[in-house]
Amino acid sequence: MTLTLLDELLLFSGVTVLVALFLGRRLPAGWMVTILYGIQLLSLLKMAPLGYGGDPIPSTLILEVMGQTLSWRFDALSWYFALITLGSALLSSWYACGEWEQRFRQAGGNVWLFHLAMALNVFSMLILLASGDLLSLFIGWELVSWAGFLLMAMAGGVATRAAMRYITYAMVGAMAIFGGIALVYVSAGSLQYDAILTAVSQMGTPHLWMLVILFSAGFGIKMGLMPFHLWQAPAYAETPGPGSAFLGAISSRMGLFAILLVLVKLFGIVNIESLKIPFTLIDARDLLAWIAVFTIIFPTFTAMKQNDARELLAWHGIGQGGYMLLGLVVADAMGAAGGLLHVFNHATYQAALFMAVTAVIHRTGTSDLNKLGGLVVRMPLSFMVLLVGIIGLAGLPPMNGFVSKWLVYRSLLNEGMPLLFVAAVIGTLGTILSVYKLIHNIFLGQLRVEHEHIKEAPWSMMIPMLILAAIIFITGLLPGIPLAWVASVQEAVGLSVPNYTLGGVESASGSLDMIWVIGVLFAGFGIGALVFYSAGKSKRVHQLDNYAGGHFLTADIRYQYSDNFYAGLMHLIGGWYRGSFLWLEKSVKSLVEFLSLGMQGIYRRANAEFYLLSTALFVIAWVVI
Amino acid sequence: MSSIKQIPVIEEKRTNPLARVFDELVRFCRSRSLFLLHYCTGCGAIELPPAMTSRFDMERLGIQPMVSPRQADILLITGYVSIKTLKRVILTYEQMGSPKYVIGICSCTVNGGMYWQSYATAKKLDEYMPVDLYIAGCMPRPEAVIEGLQQLMQRIKTGEAKGWEDYYRNYDYYLGNQQKLFGNDWQTPTDVITEAKHYDLLGEGTLGEHTALLEQHQQPLEALEMRLGHQVKEPAE
Amino acid sequence: MAPLELIIELVLMPLVAFIVGLMMVLMMRRIAAKLQRRVGPPFFQPLYDIVKLHGKRTQVSHGMIHDIGIVMAMGGYIAAETLLPVPGMNGIAEKGGIITLLYLMMIPSLGLALGVGQCANPNGSIGIARALTAMLAYDIPLVIVVFGVAYAAGTTNLVEIIATQQAGGFETWGAVQMPLLAIAGLIAMHASLGKQPFEIYIAPAEIATGPMVEMGGKYLGGLFVMQSFQLYTTSVLYVSLFLGGGTTWFDFLLKSFLVLAIPVSIAYLFPRYRTEDLLRLMWKWPVMLGLIGIAFVM
Repeated sequence: MTLTLLDELLLFSGVTVLVALFLGRRLPAGWMVTILYGIQLLSLLKMAPLGYGGDPIPSTLILEVMGQTLSWRFDALSWYFALITLGSALLSSWYACGEWEQRFRQAGGNVWLFHLAMALNVFSMLILLASGDLLSLFIGWELVSWAGFLLMAMAGGVATRAAMRYITYAMVGAMAIFGGIALVYVSAGSLQYDAILTAVSQMGTPHLWMLVILFSAGFGIKMGLMPFHLWQAPAYAETPGPGSAFLGAISSRMGLFAILLVLVKLFGIVNIESLKIPFTLIDARDLLAWIAVFTIIFPTFTAMKQNDARELLAWHGIGQGGYMLLGLVVADAMGAAGGLLHVFNHATYQAALFMAVTAVIHRTGTSDLNKLGGLVVRMPLSFMVLLVGIIGLAGLPPMNGFVSKWLVYRSLLNEGMPLLFVAAVIGTLGTILSVYKLIHNIFLGQLRVEHEHIKEAPWSMMIPMLILAAIIFITGLLPGIPLAWVASVQEAVGLSVPNYTLGGVESASGSLDMIWVIGVLFAGFGIGALVFYSAGKSKRVHQLDNYAGGHFLTADIRYQYSDNFYAGLMHLIGGWYRGSFLWLEKSVKSLVEFLSLGMQGIYRRANAEFYLLSTALFVIAWVVI
Repeated sequence: MSSIKQIPVIEEKRTNPLARVFDELVRFCRSRSLFLLHYCTGCGAIELPPAMTSRFDMERLGIQPMVSPRQADILLITGYVSIKTLKRVILTYEQMGSPKYVIGICSCTVNGGMYWQSYATAKKLDEYMPVDLYIAGCMPRPEAVIEGLQQLMQRIKTGEAKGWEDYYRNYDYYLGNQQKLFGNDWQTPTDVITEAKHYDLLGEGTLGEHTALLEQHQQPLEALEMRLGHQVKEPAE
Repeated sequence: MAPLELIIELVLMPLVAFIVGLMMVLMMRRIAAKLQRRVGPPFFQPLYDIVKLHGKRTQVSHGMIHDIGIVMAMGGYIAAETLLPVPGMNGIAEKGGIITLLYLMMIPSLGLALGVGQCANPNGSIGIARALTAMLAYDIPLVIVVFGVAYAAGTTNLVEIIATQQAGGFETWGAVQMPLLAIAGLIAMHASLGKQPFEIYIAPAEIATGPMVEMGGKYLGGLFVMQSFQLYTTSVLYVSLFLGGGTTWFDFLLKSFLVLAIPVSIAYLFPRYRTEDLLRLMWKWPVMLGLIGIAFVM
């Protein structure tokens, strides 16, 4: 038996887990695990033909369980997501294994557990991505859920509570998926993709409705789609730094992967579009698109109100997921490409942002946006990484986030969906507002006295951040590189492919060439710099030499604007934050509590006659009916 | 004013005719675009709105009101300057970008005017900062203000209005007078001496006994330079 | 297109924009003067201001980001001009399209925001917070308008949008075809200029000119340059979307100046709105008009 490339990859991944498990306590686990991620990435790169339209690579491992065949294979879709997973795992782990790890240990953290949890996450994600039928998909899904829980819960305290909330949601999602799989099995008689594909075409509308609801709810919970988004922000924010970079980059996208696989590839967007909602003008696809748009808007505006940098980023992570789903359900060539490209882009900038914020925490000990400020003079490289990251997150040129959002906008324009378009832009505007708050409150404004002596983050943390920043810029300049992978993913799931070039997209109705756009942008900067620097020389002044209406500023009085940053805006929309979803979550929780109390009451009674009577009645009723 | 007369005339060492034309152009533009910061302390302020608005319209001379000292070219002080106010006036003046000009309006800035006997009023403004132009009167009419501004424009065009250079070159003198009034620990958040060094405006009178006194009391004001800090030693804890 | 020709266009387009922009600044100030029964500034006043500011002897910098912010503010607009077709020159308009142009126009504001941030002056930070809020207010009607126009033309390529409008003379102008969108666009454009009654982020009496508070010398000069670019870009964009662009330089400039004269004439008659009132106004009337306009287009 020869090992295929996929076997090799999964083997390496498993070895990583074992190394972290058995050697991690004694040896410097961080470096070893990082190197092993590198090896995994190399073996993934050996499968690179997949990213350019190669044939799927199967695994030699095939199991038979209760008459069901379980198989694993990699196609373009799996390869694309695995690339992002391993890339972010490698960089997060690299980031963690130097000084950050030492500090974490000093603060009482369990480094061994951290690396183990990371390795488990990567392993389980690869298994999920490789799944070749619905049953192995479900197994992978469960593994991912529990591995994620381990990573989220390991910090203890608040983190554990957030993780408990996550796992509750995840279990509900898993139940929904399991129900969906059972339904599919009933109608298709098999859980193989081919069998399902044929079964879907004969399914009745109610059946398909049921499946769409179950699967999109189940996978949507992992993605943090409205109204199941509440768990995500606290859970990701409380994960130890590099862990949150990793989770923020890729973890939720497993939900998108599954949606892509099941809803787009197996069910088909056309079938979903045929599900009309009676008495309205919309169908299931529109419903999904609107859910995506609400997922963009509400979490983004919630992020704007956060005063903790990590929470702010985590909320944005939820919001950006909306763009991906939006692009996918629009499902024309450009939209799907935009949504898929956004997965890659989001992973790069979200990881960079979490890392930059973690670097700030590493040096200052806080991520409270009201307790920082002016750090650009002390941590200029972290500033640069954060700047590159927020430009990507806000989707402005010249970073990569712009390209994917541009594609999504273009598809909405082509398809004639004005409201969705406007809503997507509102999300982007809200993002710009909140990321400016992030960078201003951390890096700009007045430097606090207690931060005068801090240093830039150590190189072990800096290099992964700089690599990410470079990737963000390069894929913004040459979006054709990831678009090639995206195109083969689109082919693999049966969507049409846009006419992409190295610099962007060619289209009869307006194209994009980032090489030119960025070229003129930097030429413009060059001319601006020429004008600016050829004028008289300037002198740096101290931050206290500042206009205060003639007042003499002193170091002991803060001269900084950070709290309630968008006061004018909040005057108007502040009242619109009702916490309705929190209320909803709370009422569901109370309902469950109440029911369980009732059940408990019945069992406590221990009244044998009562049980006997009710059982007898039940049996009689069953027999009669 | 007397001190201004004593400024040694430094010949511009520019032989290139193009550079001369360029200097001429910049001087001309300076004279035709004056941003005004009015520090209105007394009754003279009432004469400025008519000077700006439809009756006399300063803007046709290129003069506009501005808000913060960074943006302004002219500091217009209209009226008495109490000692408390003077501190703010000096800070404001030092925060302005050179070339900058000071205009004292009303008698109060010339000699204290009707506040001559007040213990809390600085009598002569030009002891504390170089005044380029006084417009006397109690209060001067808008015509007089416009007339004065035109004179200032003329002097800027010819390069005579160099009070701002005097502040750098004879800083010790001005600082001495300021210290006499505010005490020995007087210091503004601006750093005139390093500025003079940076822009090559050091004169014989920049440093002296008063600046030495300042250095004793000075709290450091070095700009926060951008640095990576990997080489910097950690402070002892 | 020959590369040399393209390079000449790329150089000429920002240059023309700058010169026309200076004249627009002059027009704005002259209109303000006329409304207030004043004479107003002389012809070269905008140029005098910029030369003077760049020629200041001492320049106060608050740090490298302060400098870079100004460079970005100027450079972003210089780049944006090459995406905005003018009579006879298309630059690289076909490689970006209108969505890219709108986003490139945000780069100067972002640069300015960064530069102001480093000034460590809360007045400036409040100004930026308000400017971003204003952007949130006027960009929503603006994107509705842009969506409508691009959808009606079936392309995001500005060159084609202009060409379709010029095809049938006056009747095919965007403003004739889509009057509601044109009105909504005009209101949004007025707000994007940041003139009264929408100048919440300058507010000299409240926050000491907000973003400009610590800007002197060439820093302020850079912002003056940016302002002239901004006036030009905004009015030319409107002309391209609704008034059929320009076939000749004469009618192109005439239209651009006339379009700009409308908000400017209104501006100096009004005091300032509060932030929330600006939001309320922008999210109500132009959005409503724009959505109805889109409904007609679709």
